[in-house]
Parts: sequence; structure tokens; C-alpha cells
Amino acid sequence: MSQELDLPPALRPEVEAARRHVSLSPEIEARVMAAVRRRAAPPQQRAWRWLTAPSLPPWSLLAAAAAALLAFVIFRPASVGSPGVASPRATAVGPESVYVRFILVAPNAREVALAGTFNGWDPATAPLSRADTAGTWTVTVALPVGQHQYAFIVDGRRWVPDPAAPAVDDGFGRKNSVVSVSAAQGRIL
Amino acid sequence: MNRRVAWVMLAMALGPELAAQGDVTARLAGRVPPPIAAAVSALADSARARGLPVAPLVDKALEGVVKGVPADRILPAVRTVLDQLDAASAALRGAGVTPAGDDAIEAGGFALAAGLTPGDIGAIARSADRSHPTAVALQVAGALAAMGVPRAQTVGLVRGAIQSGRPVGDLVSLPGQVQAAMARGAPPAAAAAGLERAATAHQAPRPHGQGKGEGNPHKP
Repeated sequence: MSQELDLPPALRPEVEAARRHVSLSPEIEARVMAAVRRRAAPPQQRAWRWLTAPSLPPWSLLAAAAAALLAFVIFRPASVGSPGVASPRATAVGPESVYVRFILVAPNAREVALAGTFNGWDPATAPLSRADTAGTWTVTVALPVGQHQYAFIVDGRRWVPDPAAPAVDDGFGRKNSVVSVSAAQGRIL
Repeated sequence: MNRRVAWVMLAMALGPELAAQGDVTARLAGRVPPPIAAAVSALADSARARGLPVAPLVDKALEGVVKGVPADRILPAVRTVLDQLDAASAALRGAGVTPAGDDAIEAGGFALAAGLTPGDIGAIARSADRSHPTAVALQVAGALAAMGVPRAQTVGLVRGAIQSGRPVGDLVSLPGQVQAAMARGAPPAAAAAGLERAATAHQAPRPHGQGKGEGNPHKP
């Protein structure tokens, strides 16, 4: 306050003008911000700066590496690792799949579907078609290499194992049929 | 050196684990009642921590729901599958198969469900080789057992096919041959005995020094 009193009278209007709030129009603000964004570093550069900005003492990286290694050892997926002494297992799993034709003779059925481990037990994904007037129903499905359990669903409610395939208990008091697709020569067991 | 690098490293280490958990949740979501889904997820976590595959657990839960099985019977069935996978993994470990792949453990679990014992699993796994992988041998054994072939015959047929050095296709064809004989009226044991006799009769002498599982050059 005392400084203002010391100002020469000629400067006082200039000081008053400088104290007044200046507001920019929205158009100017948008243009300025657009120019700022154009000059900003590219995303990769910003990410690198974010990663490398120092925030911890050097020993923390060692602690983090140890924690990561420990977490990996504890939680690693079972499939990680090299072939064992007696288990060269690389050939059994792969992207190969084999077309398998399923057949059920059900003369009185109105609809038949196929459900199994290969389609998440979802009958809607594999309906069978009636192949002839004798009641033969078929569907062809691409199965990945491996072993699969399945059953037919007749008329949406009756679960029927495949009479032409081996079967195992399903754990619920019924039977599941089993089909094994091998990478060796595209064979079905 | 910074905290952010540490977070990224942890995320990379835990990424596959978190993705697997998400996969289980995604497969169960909307198809399995939430209480069952939560219990199955917990069992899946337990299985994963022991190096066991989790897909068979999810499959069993989905199967139970689709088949309209009451909820109180679904979880015991899932636990049974988990126990079978655990027993198969232990049998494979005991046979020196380390690490056992998911496919071998699943095949072992199925073989146990079909009636074989952990000792049978171990015996078959010990005879497997590069040309006759453990998973394929156990799948064949499980299929034979599921057809009703007695345990001892199942193990003998599978081990015999491997040790004869014949191509893996011969091993894989065993269940089909048994099934064909059964379709002609033979009981499972008799069908398997016929295959054993045929294998013995056609056993060709192997050249000196030929490695096991490399295939018999006298057989096309």
C-alpha cells in the first residue's frame, strides 16, 4: 500500500489497468491449447519419460526384480519348462485339429445336438442334421488334438452317450462318451 | 531406477497368471450360478498353484449346469476331477516326468477316471519316449480302459506297442482295433488278448543298436 503511494501519478493508471482481470475468448483458448498439444512429445517419448523418471533409490530396482522373480516362480504356468527325461511332449499339443463326424440313430427324435468339452458343453453350437428318413442324425465338427468327452442331447432334454464310443462316468450318475484325436496321422482313437 | 519400472516388471511376471484367472471367470460368467462360479474359481486357483490344468474343472462345472445337475452335486464332481488331476500329476512326477504338461496330466486324470491306477499311469509314463509321447500313451490307455479292457492288459498292450518300436500310429490304432473286435462280438478282454497275440506273432527282430521308439524299419 505504501508502495502505491510512492508511485508517480503518471504511472497509476497503468498499474490499475494491469490489475484488471483479463479474460480470453474461448476461441483463443482453444487455439492456444491446440498449439500446446501439437508441440507435446509423442506418446512413446512420454511413456519412456514416465518409466525412467527417477523416484526410488537404486536398491529398489533390485528389490523389485527379486519380487518379480519370486512371483514368477510361484505363479508360473504349468506348461512352462523344458521337456522332461521321459516326457517329450511337444508333439501331442498343437494347433492341429481333425474333422470328426458324429452319428446317432434316433428315429423318433425331433432334434439332436452335440455337447462336450470341445464346445463348453453348449448344445446350441453343434446341432445334428437328419441325414435320411431312417432317423440317422449327423454333424461334423473340427476337434483340436486331445481327448474330449461328449454326449448327445435328444429333444433338448435327454442325454444320450454315443453307442459307438467308449464311455466313462460323468460324475453325475450318467455316462460321457470319449473321443481322442491324435496328431499322429490325424487319427481318432 | 524407479517405482514405475518395478510395477511394470511385476505386471509382466504376473500377467499370465492374471490372464488365466480372467479366462476361468470369463468361461463361467453368465453360465454358472455365482456361488458355484466362485467356488470353482477358488478350486482353479488351487489347481493352478499346484501346476495342474484348470480347464477340466471349468468343463465339469459347465457340464453339470448344462445337464441340470443340482448345485450341491456339481462341486463334489469338480473336486473329484481335481483329485484325479492331482493324482495323475503325482504319478507322472514319480515316473520322472517333470514337468508334466497339461495334456499329459489331463490324459492321466482321464485314465484314472476310466479305471487305471496311479501305478499304471507311472508304468506307462516310464515306457513313453520321444516317438510315443506320454500324453498319447495315456490317452490310448484311458480309451482302452473305458472300453472295458482289464487294467493289466491295457498297460501291457500300450507298453508293448511302445517298446516294440512300431510307429505311434500303431499305438493310436489300438482302441479302434479293440472296438472292431468287440463289434464282432468279442468281450473286451478277449479282444485285447487277440491283439496281444497278434503283436507277439508279428514282432520282428530289431536291428542291433536301434533306439527305442525310432520306428521299425521292417514295417511300412
